[in-house]
Amino acid sequence: MHEYTISSSIAKTVLTSAEENQAHKVVAINLEIGALVFLNPEQVEFWLKELFRETIAKEAKIRIKNIKPRIKCLDCNYEGAMKVDDNLLYHIMIPSFFCPQCSSRQIMVEKGRECLIKNIEIVK
Amino acid sequence: MKRRDRVKIIQGKEDELLDIELNKDLLKRNEELARGNKRILEKENVLAIDIMGSIGSGKTSLIENILTRLKGRRIGVIGGDLTTTIDAERIKEKGAQIVQVNTGKECHLDANLIRKALRELNLREIDLLFIENVGNLICPGEFPLGAHQRVVVVSVTEGPHMIKKHPYIFQTARAVVINKVDLAEAMEVDLEELKADALRVNPGIRVIRTNCRTGQGIEEVIEVLKVGV
Repeated sequence: MHEYTISSSIAKTVLTSAEENQAHKVVAINLEIGALVFLNPEQVEFWLKELFRETIAKEAKIRIKNIKPRIKCLDCNYEGAMKVDDNLLYHIMIPSFFCPQCSSRQIMVEKGRECLIKNIEIVK
Repeated sequence: MKRRDRVKIIQGKEDELLDIELNKDLLKRNEELARGNKRILEKENVLAIDIMGSIGSGKTSLIENILTRLKGRRIGVIGGDLTTTIDAERIKEKGAQIVQVNTGKECHLDANLIRKALRELNLREIDLLFIENVGNLICPGEFPLGAHQRVVVVSVTEGPHMIKKHPYIFQTARAVVINKVDLAEAMEVDLEELKADALRVNPGIRVIRTNCRTGQGIEEVIEVLKVGV
């Protein structure tokens, strides 16, 4: 359901922008989704295809780029990947919100929380 | 030369492929709206608490219990529910101002729905606002509403893995309320383990055990959320 809600907003934004630019057809949609948003790309794609039925975006190619989490430590200045427990027992990845270098909890999430419509490709 | 003469217009040909930069972050928009909600609340001196939690964990019971203890205070409640007004009726009996938000198919409240609900409330006549989110431990975590604090309610009848399976929602919460503690033994749920799970995800979180049937633990919730007088 989470994916459906987000996909509805994506579809609405895409179709509005396409209309504003007098598009005749939407050819491709490029999305960037952060791993910390916990959206299943397969479901997002499924819902977008459903939502684009009977619209000018019905044949659009949907490209979803998964953005890996990156953090910055405010204590030791570590910048880089976040430690992630990928334990199948829990079905989802469990991000560790501390610095992998010095274990500080004072970290800033720099990447991984985005849910971005990067751009769309249209034909006028 | 006049300024407009210098403007170069590129006319796209028919059937030409155009790349439209959007760079629209859908979650950022919600965050902006949430910040706006917070400003609206602060202007009227209203403290808002977002109560999240799984289905049947006791979110409404917790609010009912708090309302009973804070009788006489000026309190508003926004109740998020998919379709029914069962919870709203229960709250109304306690004398709070209530706005019901039926999300229809959506699994969480978002800042936009809260903005609409805030318009329906008389904010000048309340000092405290409880927002009961839709019963769900997944997406409400992604959608800040503009509340000052967030609380997650879980209960032992959901089994021992509720917290470790849904870590994200606990990361932004001030407190986790473990409800129905009187049933822990029958459910074979280790309360210490649940607490450890919560602290592993969010070391700053306060863990409070409650039994909403008897009112056990409610005073502590009021104290942690600083909603008492």
